[in-house]
Amino acid sequence: MEEQIDLVGKAFADHYYHLFDNDRPALSSLYKPSSMLIFEGHKIQGVEDITAKLTSLPFDQCRHVISTIDSQPSFSGGIVVFISGSLQLPGEEHHLRFSQMFHLIPMLEGNFYVQNDIFRLNYG
Amino acid sequence: MEEQIDSVGKAFVDHYYHLFDNDRPAMSSLYQPTSMLTFEGHKLQGVEDIITKLTQLPFDQCRRVISTVDSQPALVTGGIVVFVSGSLQLPGENHPLQFSQMFHLSPTPQGNFFVLNDIFRLNY
Repeated sequence: MEEQIDLVGKAFADHYYHLFDNDRPALSSLYKPSSMLIFEGHKIQGVEDITAKLTSLPFDQCRHVISTIDSQPSFSGGIVVFISGSLQLPGEEHHLRFSQMFHLIPMLEGNFYVQNDIFRLNYG
Repeated sequence: MEEQIDSVGKAFVDHYYHLFDNDRPAMSSLYQPTSMLTFEGHKLQGVEDIITKLTQLPFDQCRRVISTVDSQPALVTGGIVVFVSGSLQLPGENHPLQFSQMFHLSPTPQGNFFVLNDIFRLNY
């Protein structure tokens, strides 16, 4: 069971950052009206506002490199995923380090949507 | 509602780290048999194993600085997800260690919360 949780967490993280780095508007498929994002302290709710926030960030291109992924089952089939890594922006010499957590809720179709999403850059 | 979630999240974080820094065995009050901790990749479940791990950690005297606390209602579970970042200054170390930690707090019948999910990572 444990390994399955890790596989799901990793598959989700890979999918999320692939969309983020290559087709950011498609991230809307991962959220629902109840979804909540806190991005560097800014609180946003719902598919539209969340997608608007993510597609309006001040960088067009980026590459997420994942350092660590930790996953745990939460409740009633849900999963919490905790990620740390670095964000590479074109032209920038230094990578930005970040941490992010997701709370994934299962859907009837067998996949997951993001109910909670919190992102923080790690400075220092 | 939003501010209440932030207050609960911050109150929990203050309480958690106060116990961690001053009375680590008392942290058993925060966990239940279903609780899970992943500490720097090491997975543990249940009050006993979690407290054993936490009381064995070499952070006997550390100065902790909390930089950010982000909280959201977990909705489906009635709980709260809390995302913390900060730094630890260990005695004898030149530079503080940055860390991130996430909690998924689940409500108890008595009206308070226990830690269902706990994930800790140092940020190198």
